Amino acid sequence: MIRFLAVRALTLLAGLFLASLIIFISLRLLPGDVAQVIGGTSASPAQVEAIRERLGLNVPLPLQYLDWLGGVFTGQLGSSVVSGTSIAAEIAEKAQVTVPLTFYSLTIALIVALPLGVFAAYRRQALPSRVLSVLGVVAAAVPAVWAGLLGIVLFSTWLGWLPSQGFPRDAWADPLTAIRSLTLPALTIGLIEGAVLFRFVKSATLSAIGAEHVRTAMSRGYTRLGALVRHGLPGVGLSVVSMLGLQVAGLLVGAVVIEQLFSLPGLGRMLVVDVGQRDLIKVQSTLFVLTAVILALGALVDVVHRMIDPRLRVEEQ
Amino acid sequence: MTESNTSAPAEAPEYRKRGHSKTPLIITIAVIAVAAIVAALVFWLGRDRDSTAGGGGNGAGKELVVGLQLEPSNLDIRATGGVALDQILIDNVYQGLIGLKSGTVDEFVPVLAEELPEQSDDGLTYTFTMREGVSFASGNKLTAADVVDSLSAAEGPASLSTALGAPVTVTSPDERTVMLELSAPNSQLLWQLANRPGLVFETAYTGDLASTSNGTGPFALKQWKQGDSITFAANPEYWGEKPAVETVVWRYIPDANAATNAALEGDLDVLAPVTSNMVSQFEGTDFAIEHADSTDVFTLAFNSQKAPLNDVRVRTALSMAIDGNSIVEAFYGDGKVLGGPITDLEPAYEDLTSVNAYDPEAAKALLAEAGYAEGLELTATIPSFYASDAINQVVTQFDAIGVKLNVNPVEFGTWLSDVYSAPEDGSPRQYDLSYVNHAEANDFVNYTNPDYYFGYNNPEVQDLYAQSIATTDPEQAVELVQQAARIVAAEAPAKWLINYTPANAVAKHVQGFPNSNTNSRINLAGVSVS
Repeated sequence: MIRFLAVRALTLLAGLFLASLIIFISLRLLPGDVAQVIGGTSASPAQVEAIRERLGLNVPLPLQYLDWLGGVFTGQLGSSVVSGTSIAAEIAEKAQVTVPLTFYSLTIALIVALPLGVFAAYRRQALPSRVLSVLGVVAAAVPAVWAGLLGIVLFSTWLGWLPSQGFPRDAWADPLTAIRSLTLPALTIGLIEGAVLFRFVKSATLSAIGAEHVRTAMSRGYTRLGALVRHGLPGVGLSVVSMLGLQVAGLLVGAVVIEQLFSLPGLGRMLVVDVGQRDLIKVQSTLFVLTAVILALGALVDVVHRMIDPRLRVEEQ
Repeated sequence: MTESNTSAPAEAPEYRKRGHSKTPLIITIAVIAVAAIVAALVFWLGRDRDSTAGGGGNGAGKELVVGLQLEPSNLDIRATGGVALDQILIDNVYQGLIGLKSGTVDEFVPVLAEELPEQSDDGLTYTFTMREGVSFASGNKLTAADVVDSLSAAEGPASLSTALGAPVTVTSPDERTVMLELSAPNSQLLWQLANRPGLVFETAYTGDLASTSNGTGPFALKQWKQGDSITFAANPEYWGEKPAVETVVWRYIPDANAATNAALEGDLDVLAPVTSNMVSQFEGTDFAIEHADSTDVFTLAFNSQKAPLNDVRVRTALSMAIDGNSIVEAFYGDGKVLGGPITDLEPAYEDLTSVNAYDPEAAKALLAEAGYAEGLELTATIPSFYASDAINQVVTQFDAIGVKLNVNPVEFGTWLSDVYSAPEDGSPRQYDLSYVNHAEANDFVNYTNPDYYFGYNNPEVQDLYAQSIATTDPEQAVELVQQAARIVAAEAPAKWLINYTPANAVAKHVQGFPNSNTNSRINLAGVSVS
């Protein structure tokens, strides 16, 4: 187990390093220049050049990269060259929207996908299951923006149940208002991601039903449902856990689009604005933090997997 | 749950027992029940709170929430360009010796000076007497030295010398007098003093103006939630009459749908502006739609340094291909047809709509004369945040004279580097056409600078403009600019598609919201909420 942990930690570190390189290089391919954005349309070329010099944009790229990397690995994300505010503080503030939104969406996705997925597999010939499967394919293919607009029209404009935009200025001071403002966005992402997860759960359950150990359990007297619940679903649970690591990445990508649509001050909207302003150091630091979170979640999933799946322990010995 | 035990053969009892385990079922039901209860709570309890905690100004009485589009990226108005800062900070937070009468761009009023300056006959010396009892939000008294330092700044978007293009010597003979000395008369001096270059800052202030504020105006920055809102609170140190609203929230909503929804849901008291195609949604609501006059000109620039647009016949032909009225329609009526670069809010305005007026046949003939009888293919580079209705109209109308226009929407940062800035090696810019809103007032100077992105170079225009700057007679100054503008309109370095008159939605409980030039300056003096 210790050897496994060490290897996993090393791959995580290598992954982070590679990610930092990819993020840095790909952002440098963008056209545009933050000095020009800061100067705006009133600055002369000489003024823009002065800004560029002041921000250290004339330093050779490899040096800029090492400088940034050194900061990141010592926990110093620095401050935005455009607004002058601390990047770490900005990420922490915006995470107050994006992290709850992600978990809220994930909860909705799980609540939708787990029972329905198992049901659709268990009674796969029944009409409701077939309808569900078609709906699952459709929902998974719907673009988030469109689904969001539909939700706004239905729940805000027609029914007036939920706000269609915004997040309280005092954030979580009033949790209920905050949750309400996240409900429609979370439903949008949650249902779409839930549809993807539903199909996954369904096929995993189907193969569990057909698996030999489940049939053996039935032959020893379990009912079909009993055998599935007792011997099939633990395996399904394992695959769902490993799927969740990927799911979180999907949810974060969904948040970029959804925060824009619902005008939520989260990480996604911040990224869009920062890319527009070519605040590359802030963008690359934010992206790196997000990538690190996702990679770390992946590693965590692997470790959990190892702990709850007895087969992997056997292989090790 | 339709389990049948009858067919089960003889088996060990413990298997049967486990087979009946209901634990997963109970967990599932519990999870769903909890989710349902949470959802019900959110729906039920939350609905009542909307009216109080939801953010709108309706319940708070003295709070005003204004929805805007473009958020500033940094609040240091001395160092950061962009009209988003002028829009909220000038008049409300920072002030100059003089300012603009609300709703005008050419009527000056004294602000931190007791009256408009005394001007020497040769137009070289301006003497200001400073108002007494003025303090910064920091609590420190405004001194003549602060004014001298602020107006002497050598660099940055707020530098007076840079704005005038000539050095200014600022001195203070005594504690209440400030003198400006010019090396040559400059008819733009008062205009610049009433704008960003004239703002006064405290020299001794050590705070970071990028995220705090320290002005002499009626409001001070309370909170900046980046990507969401900027909050002003009344400045207790303000020297003048206390503002009628205590708190002002500027909420930045780039998405047009979300902005309209925010207003209709009661989260905003004012939305400035409403995107043209959504104005009709405000019919029959608690909002009044007010069209603000403005100096915004949606400018379709032709790169005068690049073939074939360096040929005045081609530029004229393209201008004549466009029907201004159809552009106004594409803006759902939110604008006025324009024939030249100057709007009717500015003193040098003349109706030039007859110059290069809509005439597709003549346009075709001109193109043929210039050697493009078989047509042309051009590309327009436009920042992607503008609505596409107007540019689509242009594409259609160019098509009618045999010009194929490709539209290339780019991010604003890309527009700045691809269109606005000159290539570093000194070669001409490579764009064909550009489409942006020039919101600044009094920006005719751009047509006299061959290095500006229009690339328009006419020595006669430059000479007329220089004369208008140098004259001490205001009427003559206006006349000279008018002469120059006529030449510019005829030579068409750009097509002035529309003078945008943005539609602002103002809730009925808000009084006195300015209805002029709100895209570049919103003076909150006199705004109240009932």
